[in-house]
Amino acid sequence: MIVSSLFSYVLVAMLLFSIGLLGVIARKNIFVIYMSIELMFNAINLLFVALAQYRHSYDGQIFAVVIIATAAAEAAVFLALIVVLFRRKKSLDADVLRALSQKEAA
Amino acid sequence: MNDLLFFLLSFFALFGAFGMIVLHQPVHSALSLIVTLLALAGLFALLNASFLFAVQIIVYAGAILTLFIFIIMFLNVKESNLPKEPNKTLYLFLGGIVLIPLNLLVLRAFYAMPLLREPLAEDFGEIQPLGAALFTKWLLPFELISLLLLVALIGAVVFARKDEV
Amino acid sequence: MSVVLAWIVLLPLCSSVLLGAMYLFSITKRRIAQRYFTFVALCSPSVVFVLGLAALRELMLRADALHYHAYVWLRIGEYRVDMGFLGDKLSLFMVFFITLVGGLIHLYATSYMNKDEGYGKFFAYFHLFTASMLLLVLAEGPLMLFVGWEGVGLCSYLLISFYYHDNANVVAGNKAFIVNRVGDLGFLIGLAMLFFYGGTYEFSYKTLALHIGTIPPEILTSIAIALFIGAMGKSAQIPLYVWLPDAMAGPTPVSALIHAATMVTAGVYMVARFHFLYDLVPHVGIFIAYIGALSALFAALIATKQSDIKKILAYSTMSQLGYMFVSVGLGAYDSALFHVFTHAFFKALLFMGAGAVIVALHHEQNIFKMGEMRRVMPLTYVTMLIATLAISGIPPFAGFFSKDEILSVAFGSGHYELWLIGVVTAVLTSYYMFRLFFLVFEGTHASHSQARDVGWVMKAPLVALALGATFAGFLGLPELFGGNHLIGEWLRVWKREAFHLSHLVEGILIALNVGAALAGIAIAYQKFRFYDKRVAYQPEGIVYRKFYLDELYDVLFVRSIRRLSRFIAETTDKKLVDRVVMGLSRGFIEAGDRIAWVQNASVRLYAFIMIAGIGAASCYLLVVLR
Repeated sequence: MIVSSLFSYVLVAMLLFSIGLLGVIARKNIFVIYMSIELMFNAINLLFVALAQYRHSYDGQIFAVVIIATAAAEAAVFLALIVVLFRRKKSLDADVLRALSQKEAA
Repeated sequence: MNDLLFFLLSFFALFGAFGMIVLHQPVHSALSLIVTLLALAGLFALLNASFLFAVQIIVYAGAILTLFIFIIMFLNVKESNLPKEPNKTLYLFLGGIVLIPLNLLVLRAFYAMPLLREPLAEDFGEIQPLGAALFTKWLLPFELISLLLLVALIGAVVFARKDEV
Repeated sequence: MSVVLAWIVLLPLCSSVLLGAMYLFSITKRRIAQRYFTFVALCSPSVVFVLGLAALRELMLRADALHYHAYVWLRIGEYRVDMGFLGDKLSLFMVFFITLVGGLIHLYATSYMNKDEGYGKFFAYFHLFTASMLLLVLAEGPLMLFVGWEGVGLCSYLLISFYYHDNANVVAGNKAFIVNRVGDLGFLIGLAMLFFYGGTYEFSYKTLALHIGTIPPEILTSIAIALFIGAMGKSAQIPLYVWLPDAMAGPTPVSALIHAATMVTAGVYMVARFHFLYDLVPHVGIFIAYIGALSALFAALIATKQSDIKKILAYSTMSQLGYMFVSVGLGAYDSALFHVFTHAFFKALLFMGAGAVIVALHHEQNIFKMGEMRRVMPLTYVTMLIATLAISGIPPFAGFFSKDEILSVAFGSGHYELWLIGVVTAVLTSYYMFRLFFLVFEGTHASHSQARDVGWVMKAPLVALALGATFAGFLGLPELFGGNHLIGEWLRVWKREAFHLSHLVEGILIALNVGAALAGIAIAYQKFRFYDKRVAYQPEGIVYRKFYLDELYDVLFVRSIRRLSRFIAETTDKKLVDRVVMGLSRGFIEAGDRIAWVQNASVRLYAFIMIAGIGAASCYLLVVLR
């Protein structure tokens, strides 16, 4: 098997994506959750760029740039929210946020 | 040669990712993620995306993650603030199992495709053609990105303000 | 088609509903004065009596039975059960005396139940009873008879428990209903067998009579016995008689109408109506006759030692019914029905007179606390004397003719033991009836509060019935005395065999009967005419205790059923059924709670569930997109 084929890049990208997804659902630490999201972005970036090369097009690469920019914006907002959360609840546990629940919405 | 590099870089990427989700302290996780990002940058380079290779290192690893570590230290995170996660390993394992079908599905779709196409143009991935495409075809998204960044900046400042007494 | 038949049944039914509605209105919204109830309560029986006479006239003009077909009640394939009325000689005969005696008792009751708070309710039930009894008698087929049968049973229960504030009365009502029910079970089994074996395209007496020959004899025997079990319950014969003495807990008009003149005769009517069946199974008839004779003797024995005036009359009813069943079992339906007719008059008279005495003495019912009522209520004294003479079988009063006819039938059938039991019972009958009479009306009184005579409203029916008790006998005057034996002729078609006794034998028998009755009177006179009531009456012994039959039933049946019911209620119901049902519902609730945990507002959990869903979808796609 040719190692650096499209398929292997896709394989790596999917694995990274899965690991990111795993981090979102399995960890309670809000930092780790955020970093897992970033990891997912990166995995998708890899996928885009690999396909861009495959199709001889620059669209994939440019879109990857857009994604990086979006990730940066999102990082800023997300971290601001973490700061606010930490100030209020003094905890970094994602399960602390239960405003959706009827009992604790008050 | 390429294959070897690919193999090494993939290995580091996966290893770093895995470390990120397993480690307890956030700083450790962040550093592990940086390893992943750098490996990924290398993979971009392998894929003839030189601009992206640079942007990845400068922006992603250099700015975003740096900001991240800055916030961790800013908040003075202590052990007592970190949540206790007793069943972490079990959840990771179960989640892994749940994700297998999806992966299999996508991979099988891609497996059917041929592996490589015709040889690339010589200057594929150079910055000039990329810039040309960026400012012609992708002009609108480009401008919108700047707007997005502005909004994010203002939003972050508004959020993180101390409450007026 | 004679619509008057339908109105005979429908009118009391409508008046019952009307009275019931008026009563409910009166207790919930605004009180309606008693006289309005009285008006409705008396209108209806009078009109029904007139309608009955009209029907009789039509029958005599036509010489063919009257029919009225109301509607088709059931239709199963080719099989039909109609709601129809049959007015032939037998049914209109019954209608005549039911409405006549019933109407008089209604009048009496308006005075007896005066100022009772349940006045309207009482007459609503009374009219419902009348409607049911008339339906029973006018029915075209066994199913409709059964509707009326059940209806009278229900009304009997309702009226016995009328004074429901005293628990003992409710218990008595329950007893009546339950014992009746046992009889009804037998009746239903008989009906079911009739339906199954004799089913043609219609379930009416006419078609059943036509096809009765096709049923095998063993089945016929079973049917006959099963139907008679129903009669045992309704007409208080051995062994289903235990409810009748307790039924005296109801108001006296109830005892007079239901438990003397009408409902208890339904069993006799039923056997007569099914004559086409009983004619084919004479051995069952013998069985019926023996039950009747034994019941007559048994009841008479017990009555000799009772001290409650109404209970004595209850046992005497059972005894006279025994005579009727002797006659009907031996195939002489007309004699039995003649006795039904005369018995209605003098028994109703006896009960109403007893009611008058009870009211006059402020609801005292122990005969040993009465006495010298002759002085206080002379009219009642005379009418009660007539009735007592009638029941004892002294000529020329009504009971003599009918009882004598039955005894002649018994003698002529060859079953001399039945005749002997009848004669002995006659002695006992006159003995205990005159014992009652002397203790109540003659002698000295032991202790009295002021006794007041009753008003004319109660006395007028007494007089009317006394006239009936005197003269009704002449309707059945045998040829011996030069009469035409009208009733026998009228009901001639129902007689199974003709009993031919020579006039000499018949004369000897009559002399024997009268002698027996006089003997009983003489003994009673000697013992009770000058009885010293200051000595308290402490009765003891097996006869007084009614041969311990109630206690026997209690031990045999009631206790075991009670224990079974308790077992089922406590163990089976609570442990088994409740556990299953409640457990099921609790299981559902708990399952619901567990599932509701999914909504616990943990975003990570939601994300996990989403991803699990995607995984499942991918699995599916993996399989499908092979």
